[in-house]
Amino acid sequence: MNFLTINGKMINSRGDRIWVITTGLFCLIGLIGLTNFLIQGHDAYNVHRQVPWGLLISTYIFFGLSSTGLCLVASLSRVFGLEPFEVIGKRVIVMAIITLVAAFVVIGLELGQPLRMIYNIISPNLAAPLWWMGTLYGLYLTAIVVAFILMTKGLHRYVGYAILVGFVSGIVKHSTLGSVFGLLDARLWWQGPFIPISTIVAAAAGGCAIVILLLAHRYYREKMPRDVDQAVRTTGRIFTILLGILLFAEFWKVMTTIYGGIPGKHDAMMILLNGPMALHYWFFAVFLGLLLPFILLLATGGKRLEISVVAAISSLIGLFFMRYNMVVVGQLVPLRPDVDRAHPITGLVSYNPSATEFAIVIGGFGLCLALYFVASRVFNLDAEAARH
Amino acid sequence: MTENRKKRWVMVIDSRKCFDCKACDVACKRENGIEAKGNRDVYRNWITSRGIEGTFPNLKQRFEPSQCQQCANPPCVRVCPTRASHLDRDGLVQIDGRRCIVCGVCILSCPYDARFKSPQTKVIDKCTFCNHRIAVGKQPACVDTCPTKVRVFGDLNDPESEVSRLLARHHYFVLKPKSGTQPSLFYLS
Repeated sequence: MNFLTINGKMINSRGDRIWVITTGLFCLIGLIGLTNFLIQGHDAYNVHRQVPWGLLISTYIFFGLSSTGLCLVASLSRVFGLEPFEVIGKRVIVMAIITLVAAFVVIGLELGQPLRMIYNIISPNLAAPLWWMGTLYGLYLTAIVVAFILMTKGLHRYVGYAILVGFVSGIVKHSTLGSVFGLLDARLWWQGPFIPISTIVAAAAGGCAIVILLLAHRYYREKMPRDVDQAVRTTGRIFTILLGILLFAEFWKVMTTIYGGIPGKHDAMMILLNGPMALHYWFFAVFLGLLLPFILLLATGGKRLEISVVAAISSLIGLFFMRYNMVVVGQLVPLRPDVDRAHPITGLVSYNPSATEFAIVIGGFGLCLALYFVASRVFNLDAEAARH
Repeated sequence: MTENRKKRWVMVIDSRKCFDCKACDVACKRENGIEAKGNRDVYRNWITSRGIEGTFPNLKQRFEPSQCQQCANPPCVRVCPTRASHLDRDGLVQIDGRRCIVCGVCILSCPYDARFKSPQTKVIDKCTFCNHRIAVGKQPACVDTCPTKVRVFGDLNDPESEVSRLLARHHYFVLKPKSGTQPSLFYLS
């Protein structure tokens, strides 16, 4: 194997070269961010006392969300018996593993002392949602890795069990991730059951979007087999329904928050509706994330691949911003008056990610692209063994 | 007998006496070796201005000193995945820095904004009620240094203590009572 081939497969098409250059550039930016983090530590980040969770946490959630969503789509055949999805299982599961690895890398660079995670085992606190989240992430990763190994070995009799464990642990771990926020009574913006529930729907929507992109990329230069085409169309229809549910949930989230005018909660919502993060909310989260893809998919019924691809890209951008909004807005309303960092007029604190934080996020995406490229060369991710 | 009795350390604060000299902040940093070096996030206690009260010419400005509330029902202890945040045998919330992964969830769970990441120790930090001083029979540094005796520290389980007497004689309130944290800082009203 030399730098022009992986597993004997040449990197010679124009698309491959663009992929490799883009990936290399992203990874290089990520490495620069990593280097700066290693030199400066947490001081390289713009998080502070009032906003301790920033871009890296929201990116971690985004990657975790993507992984769960992909696992949910993969489980549609094995758990729910939707046959079209059997042909795309391997590709989807490998991407679920990759996005989870990216999530771990990003959170590893956010935690101040990641090596002390050993105390998660030595002195566990079972009352802490974060402990459950970390533990369930381990179970989930194990399940999807086992599922992938079984798929590659052709042991399809057992894949269903592994996928079932992945499906259940994925749902529970993602809901537990939501509960890390939902159980924080000090922050009314997060507190409650909305995040633990809506985050699963958002995960499934993100998973559908990535599946559409993966398969559109795979069959960019060749005719899509009929069964794969059917899977993509079904994914598009499920994607549309999920976006509809998210739009509905978002509407009621806004209404219930502004109707009561509860201090803290209402203030945070107004930051999104009419404050410093209005662009993040209205354009990126609502328009790009929900409305545009919903309209596009509804208009085409998910039958036109190119439109579905546009909807998927738009939705993923929006989902990324939705996670960022969710994490950051909850912290911009200070918990006590007269905070040093508060704006003298609005009373709000602010947070703008540092260049290092942006670089690490870009590096995370670069890592996903790189690992997927390698995986697609090393393994046969097509459906050759799917008919069993 | 007295030695074995369970303590409940509390602080009674008469904010009417506070004139924002910040000696408590300085004493705390000196006692606990905290070097802020200009970092405005680094402090274990603080003084909030409650603004101007009254109407001219009867105006007054009130300051409200605060710090970790040493809650009896502490959310920071509940959410810590590694038990780095824990209750000691006197019921005070402490942090075992060796176990802290610096996930920051305790910072977010605290309704009082009492926690921060220490640039020195690289773990989460907050007021300990100067437990090293309590252990040798001393008062917390902020209590000792206050020129107008805004803070009174003592054992609420001892009916003869000054804090018990103050709370028996005066009306008082706690910060954010609806959060259900059962703070150990009592403000005379």
